[in-house]
Amino acid sequence: MRNTVSDGPRTTLTAFYWAFILYLLLPLTLMMAMSFKDANFVAFPIGDWTLDWYAKVMQDKQFLEACLYSIMIAAASTLAATTLGTWIAMLIVADGIRGRTIIFALACLPAVVPGMISAISLRIFISTIDMPTGTAAIILGHTVHAVPFVVVMALTRLRSMPRNLVDAARDLGADGVVAFFRVTLPYLGPALLGGMIFCVLLSIDDFVRTFFLGGYRPTLPMLIFAKVQGGMSPEINAMATIVLVVTAAVGLYAEFITRRARTR
Amino acid sequence: MEPVVQFDNVNKSYGKHVAVDNLNLSIEPGKFVTLLGPSGCGKSTSLRMLGGFETPTSGRIMLSGKDVTRVPPNKRNVNIVFQDYALFPHMSVAKNIAFGLELKGFDNQRIHRRVSELLELVQLQDYATRLPAELSGGQRQRVALMRALAPDPDVLLLDEPLSALDAKLRQQMQIELKAIQEKTGKTFMFVTHDQEEALTMSDTIVVMNKGRIEQMGDPNTLYGRPGSVFVANFIGETNLLRSTVISSEGDVAALNWNGITITANPGGLTPRHGEHLYVVLRPEAIHCSAAEPVSGNRVKGKIRQRVFKGNHTSLMVEVGGGALLNTLVHPSDVAQLGGEDIWLGWKPETTTVIPDRHAHN
Ligand SMILES: Nc1ncnc2c1ncn2[C@@H]1O[C@H](COP(=O)(O)OP(=O)(O)OP(=O)(O)O)[C@@H](O)[C@H]1O
Ligand SMILES: [Mg+2]
Repeated sequence: MRNTVSDGPRTTLTAFYWAFILYLLLPLTLMMAMSFKDANFVAFPIGDWTLDWYAKVMQDKQFLEACLYSIMIAAASTLAATTLGTWIAMLIVADGIRGRTIIFALACLPAVVPGMISAISLRIFISTIDMPTGTAAIILGHTVHAVPFVVVMALTRLRSMPRNLVDAARDLGADGVVAFFRVTLPYLGPALLGGMIFCVLLSIDDFVRTFFLGGYRPTLPMLIFAKVQGGMSPEINAMATIVLVVTAAVGLYAEFITRRARTR
Repeated sequence: MEPVVQFDNVNKSYGKHVAVDNLNLSIEPGKFVTLLGPSGCGKSTSLRMLGGFETPTSGRIMLSGKDVTRVPPNKRNVNIVFQDYALFPHMSVAKNIAFGLELKGFDNQRIHRRVSELLELVQLQDYATRLPAELSGGQRQRVALMRALAPDPDVLLLDEPLSALDAKLRQQMQIELKAIQEKTGKTFMFVTHDQEEALTMSDTIVVMNKGRIEQMGDPNTLYGRPGSVFVANFIGETNLLRSTVISSEGDVAALNWNGITITANPGGLTPRHGEHLYVVLRPEAIHCSAAEPVSGNRVKGKIRQRVFKGNHTSLMVEVGGGALLNTLVHPSDVAQLGGEDIWLGWKPETTTVIPDRHAHN
């Protein structure tokens, strides 16, 4: 039975919700629509449709190289952040560790510090230790930024792990290392996979840190930024659309994995 | 025979709290031994010390003649069945059971043979490839048991493994567990706070209270001859008659209970006149009748409460001075009792006497 009294506010709420969705989606839809426009400038009316811009993007060596570079940085920083984050999470739940709150707070700090501040401090840090800007510096920056997310995801999963599980492994003859790799790590698996995908997305998406720490080789966001400065063209729309579709697919997949892991 | 497990003056404290207080215990191989006691009495702590998960504050633990007090869990030949089973959720039933065997370095063929053999023992051959999440509680229980048995431990430790099962299944598993123990000839060290479970399965029951051993013996002895009020109360239902000694000669002591004179066998005790004693009188040792019994202890009473329990009816009988005796009769005999006023009688030799100084706990 519908309650007629509450129907008024309910309808209003629903209307607001759809307005909000529209507001979120409209710019993206526009961007995607323009990427199919058969003309040199981004404006209405669209007129003829074409896939030429996509063909052009796929043959754009600069774009492909930037993609590759971004993926390489994402892979390296994700690997580092996952290892580090898992280790910190294990440390926090370990027996007889003092100051676990402080460890946790420190590990999470990079997630809450504004990107700009974080970028500047990282830049100052690398010049203090005489590290050149470039690939290594970017990977370092992205790793620091990603660690908190891994820590939180690994911790959540670790806390739901029956502590008897490791005891059982030890009881059956596993030493600490074997127990970690054969029992704890597989248990963490889904959470870590989710965390890793999140790290990849963070890294691919990152502009500020990369901008401060990077050398001459542009990552994907830097390349698109440079191109936008050179003037809007449907080619940029096509590039952005590709990035959007790929990252959204990966993000949804990550959400799916972590959700399935949680219901196990 | 050389004991397979031996606790020598083992203590365990957490800060100021003493969890296990000077435990001395030796267990013969092939026995089903149960640690029984109320919550928090130190049963799990004792078991975990034997498993290697806790280090005693002082004392020594021997396993098959070797001092293992400070040996880590993966280096001792004991295995635990955990209360929540602790099956590895990402491994199949067969993989779970194989885990301990792989770590022992057995070759694949031997592992496969052993796993099939164990699965057959509990009729789970068809479940080898399932994940633990796809099993019922009883099946998980069996897998946990087989996983712990697989590496052929000197002792199998079981920490309240049946408490997560419903009553019916628990009874069934008790019988199955005992059968497996007999078939494999393994030493089982079982922990429970359920006295019925302990009575059903054990060769030896170790009753623990506040970190100490209260009494140890076979189920018959513990039930029939409890050594303390705690044990009498903890195992089975009981009537405790606090009595004063009138006279005592050899096997017969005349006691005053609640204004009535009763007799009992003081066992090895030599009670003096005026001393207080507890007489342990089990409900089933009392015979209810409409007419006065011709011999033995007898007392007249009035039925205050009857509770139908299926195979028997439990009666609470007031015997004067507000004292109640708990007794039981066969349901078909209730009618023959006539009215509410009945006679209760019992043979002196069915009771056990506990000195008062052992009573306080
Ligand atoms: N890690 C610990 N730190 C502090 N105290 C503990 C610890 N482990 C156990 N204890 C204490 O030691 C005592 C014995 O605990 P134990 O777990 O052995 O009891 P138990 O007999 O197994 O009880 P239960 O039937 O409830 O499982 C308890 O009072 C408990 O609070
Ligand atoms: Mg316990």
